[in-house]
Amino acid sequence: MSSISRYIGYLLIIGCLFSSCEKAIDLKLENAIPDYVIEGTISNEAGGAKVLISATKDFKDNNSFNGVSGAQVSIENNGTAYALTETSKGVYQAATLMGTPGGSYRLLVNLAGKNYTAHCTMPKAVTLDSIYVSQSKYDLNKDKVPRTFAVVKYKDPAGELNYYRFVQYLNNKKEKTLFAFNDEYTPGQTVNTILNYNNPNDDLSIDLKKGDNLTIEMQCIDAAVYKYFYSLDNGASGNGNNAAPSNPLTNIQGGALGYFSAYTTQRKTIKVP
Amino acid sequence: MKKTDPYGFMSIFYIVMKLPLFVKVTLLALLLFWVTHAPLMAQQLSPLDKPITLSLKNEPLKQALDKITTASGVRFTYNETVANSQVKISIEAKNQRLENVLTAALSNQPYTFSLLDQEILIRFDAEKLKKPNAVPAANPASNGKFTVSGTLISKASGETLIGATIKVVGASQGTSTNEYGFFSLTLPKGSYQLAVSAVGMKNEIISLMLDGNKKMDLALEESSKELATINIVAKARGSRDLSNPQMGVEKLNIQDIKNVPVLFGEKDVMKTIQLLPGIKSAGEGNGNFYVRGGGADQNLILLDEVPVYNASHLLGFFSTFNSDAIKNMSIYKGDMPAQYGGRLSSLLDIKMNEGNNQKFGVSGGIGLIAARVNVEGPIQKEKSSFLFSARRTYADLFLKLSSDSTINRNQLYFYDFNLKANYILGEKDRLYVSGYLGKDVLVAREIADINWGNSVATLRWNHIFSNKLFSNTSASFSNYKYNINIKEDVNEYNIFSQLRDWNLKEDLQWFANSKNSVSFGFNSIYHTIKPGEISATGNSGILSQNLQNRFSWENAVYASNTWKATDRFSLTYGLRISAFSILGKGDYYDLDGNGNIIGSTSYASGQLVKTYYNLEPRLAMAYQLNENSSVKASYARNAQNLHLISNSNASSPTDKWVASTNIIKPEQANQYSIGYYRDFSEHQYELSAETYYKQLYNQVDYRNGANIFTNQPIETQLLYGKGRAYGLELLFKKKAGRLTGWISYTLAKSERKIDGINNNQWYNARQDRTHDIAVVAMYKLTNKWTLSANFIYYTGDAVTFPSGKYQIDGVNYYYYTSRNASRMPSYHRLDLGATKQLKQTKKFSSELVLGLYNAYGRENAYTIFFRDKKDEPSQTEAVRTTLFTFVPSISYNFKF
Repeated sequence: MSSISRYIGYLLIIGCLFSSCEKAIDLKLENAIPDYVIEGTISNEAGGAKVLISATKDFKDNNSFNGVSGAQVSIENNGTAYALTETSKGVYQAATLMGTPGGSYRLLVNLAGKNYTAHCTMPKAVTLDSIYVSQSKYDLNKDKVPRTFAVVKYKDPAGELNYYRFVQYLNNKKEKTLFAFNDEYTPGQTVNTILNYNNPNDDLSIDLKKGDNLTIEMQCIDAAVYKYFYSLDNGASGNGNNAAPSNPLTNIQGGALGYFSAYTTQRKTIKVP
Repeated sequence: MKKTDPYGFMSIFYIVMKLPLFVKVTLLALLLFWVTHAPLMAQQLSPLDKPITLSLKNEPLKQALDKITTASGVRFTYNETVANSQVKISIEAKNQRLENVLTAALSNQPYTFSLLDQEILIRFDAEKLKKPNAVPAANPASNGKFTVSGTLISKASGETLIGATIKVVGASQGTSTNEYGFFSLTLPKGSYQLAVSAVGMKNEIISLMLDGNKKMDLALEESSKELATINIVAKARGSRDLSNPQMGVEKLNIQDIKNVPVLFGEKDVMKTIQLLPGIKSAGEGNGNFYVRGGGADQNLILLDEVPVYNASHLLGFFSTFNSDAIKNMSIYKGDMPAQYGGRLSSLLDIKMNEGNNQKFGVSGGIGLIAARVNVEGPIQKEKSSFLFSARRTYADLFLKLSSDSTINRNQLYFYDFNLKANYILGEKDRLYVSGYLGKDVLVAREIADINWGNSVATLRWNHIFSNKLFSNTSASFSNYKYNINIKEDVNEYNIFSQLRDWNLKEDLQWFANSKNSVSFGFNSIYHTIKPGEISATGNSGILSQNLQNRFSWENAVYASNTWKATDRFSLTYGLRISAFSILGKGDYYDLDGNGNIIGSTSYASGQLVKTYYNLEPRLAMAYQLNENSSVKASYARNAQNLHLISNSNASSPTDKWVASTNIIKPEQANQYSIGYYRDFSEHQYELSAETYYKQLYNQVDYRNGANIFTNQPIETQLLYGKGRAYGLELLFKKKAGRLTGWISYTLAKSERKIDGINNNQWYNARQDRTHDIAVVAMYKLTNKWTLSANFIYYTGDAVTFPSGKYQIDGVNYYYYTSRNASRMPSYHRLDLGATKQLKQTKKFSSELVLGLYNAYGRENAYTIFFRDKKDEPSQTEAVRTTLFTFVPSISYNFKF
């Protein structure tokens, strides 16, 4: 249902027809004491075990990844701990470590004398039946040409709660929009969901064109991770209409930002017709 | 969030707005203001000191004043009571000071004079009338007491007059008419002169021999505008009622706000009240408001006694009230009389015109974005009348002119209708029927549309049981609904929500004796709430939901007495007892501390789930220090069982109304306030200072990361806590003369403490704003031109800004440390207005109203958001959105 809030936002802007002039301003923002951000993942694929550790930056700093070195990182399954090694600043990996659906995983991070832990169970994989594209009747690019979006089709299993995240790669370039869904409104149904996203800079390279190589990754995620992504998108994306921005709901114990997700992954690739 | 350009019509608007012409107009208007005022500042010989030589014998007052003007060059200001006076005066003066001449000439007449700017104000002064030869009230051996009662109406329209005062000349007794024009005054047997006055009406002095109970229905004449004199609309002394214990109240007559400049030139009561202390705007151009630190949903808005749930059009930019149809409004800032309840912060009580029962009339106006028409007239002369008014915006018609199909397929409009009729059934009974229908439509290029609206119908019956007991019974129906439709190519979604009330209310006023007046009654409302229900078609897999309606029954009984203990001290004490019953059919849940459902109970249709009782005592007192000043104190407790759950900054139709449940407890507030009131210079100026402290309980807010579109019970997404608010409010008003207006200042603080938010520490409420200043000035330049200006300044609202940033999956997100600890930039703007009377005859009048909103083009922040810089993605930036700069308006109003 996140598309609904997107559309409502759109309507609110139309409502403000009489205006809306945007201007970058110099705002004095408080600088917080840096906090750690832990982004831990393990998938059912090799290379999926990866933990990024960084520190928050001041608003005025540049956007480069602020990696933190020197952490002891491991992922534990059934009493066995697998250590991750730092491959570049703040990036910890275990190249061969793979999870299995239904398996229970524990992330352990020791950093500057403090322990951070998180627990996540890898959900069962739900099959991504197909992907196809659909031309929007209404959403036009700056040249007034209708934009094209990817559509994912899958059958949601009945009788259980399921959570999904989709990641779009266009000519191997990742689209930044966060597509996270649950099955609250679609239990047990065949679902067709349009992955539509904004293009605020009218950058034609991020829009789908004929002949483009389109890959969609489907991740089946657990409830806590869905909650994290939902609250991240709604509360921490800098949107000015939200009356109460806040840090997302994390599943990490110990007082760090971020999340730990054990997910299943599958991909489908097509050429945009 | 999608970004759209300001489309075609707006770009024309933009160019117009940016014309340097408007800068010139601004400067010119300011210049005019100074030029006309500059002489006042220069030292001159006072008109009262001017020498005069004149001889008059038994000359009618008006002619005499004209002759003095001819002889001395000094001009007079007076109203029609003076102009039409039958009083004759004589003058015999040789080079005497005008002051001495006037003192002598008016010594035995009921008129006084005073200096007003460079003119002399002549006023009717009842105090100078001969003392009544009534048996003194102090004499206990008098032959009993009698009651005079009746209804006051306007002679021209037959409209009842609300809040008109009836005072015994030369004594302290008096009363005022209630909201249906009825009054009752009990006095010892004797003969009296009663001074009757009402806003916009000629004052009248009525002689009364009270030797039995008397009925006195009066029709007052309007103080007409055709007279060449300048009308002084200042009310008679005591207008604000220094002696009445009611505090925290502001009353505005539609006449009072007529000239206040507003956005797009659409007169709007809800925006005008935001210029008063303690009432804060909910944002740029927004009709929603916050009172004394409370939320927008804590205001009870009554239209002819029926609660209106969404009192704004087009996302808050317009109020649902068509000012052409409004008679009168009062706002109570938390100290509501016991008659009212159900909201914590305020009561905005709006009364509409009933319709002219004397003659048929049409009025209306055409503005930049909306047109209005108002038709009224008698059905049976003096017995019954009707009123119909309609309004529609047509900004979207401009969109249609565009050849660009992405623009001309948008729709954006609202309309509303008011329809009323009333019948005088007999001496003692009057029946009123009224209806309101309003709808907003917002369509974005066929992708999505939202429409929402209110419909309201009321039947009211006034019955006068006796000359001391007045009754009003009203039965009403109110329906607020919204519908959102979203098309996503093959898929289509629909969200529907509704709030429906059946309401029965009985209010009795018993004017027991000259010292006590009692009001008592009951109110019963049956609420049906349909929460946002989603249905879908297409292959999205979304299953249409059938959500349970929520039923509740809200009852209250109340009694209150106003006791005039002494001439100086009055006390109002009352109690309201409210009971809110949640009824089946439906499922109600048990939750754990994290908002997860751990159990549920099903209730059958009509089965009682739970009843919340609240005792709401109300206490108010006034002590009049002297003729011109008084102090007041009050305490009020309120309870609220309907809550608006919102997480957006703009007023959004998706904000959810929910009733109290087994988990959501009634919100409660205690408000303590004291105030000081003083009038200056013959009541031409008034000053009030009020301060309050308010405690709030069971305040509701969303959890961090709440899902507002879930079909889970809303309680799973909520948290509860307490609040506190306090502040100081100052208001200085000038009520008479060419220049009228007010200056208001508010110093305030509003905080919340909710476990689970801001580390369980106190934090600023979103509407917390420290300083708020408004200056409103209206200047009658000539008989044809009236100029006006507003200046508004306030410090920024509390807001949550990031104090850092970090990356998740390669994308920037923002880091927050504490809730509402930052401030929006300060807000200020100047609005200018000018009204030109075009044509004025008995049959037809018209006027042209020009306005310029935000005259110096201050770019005020509407919202501030954060993003990666467009041209330099390695940096982030804060972006301010601004809504209105230099918005000119022009409208033409007519009446025949």
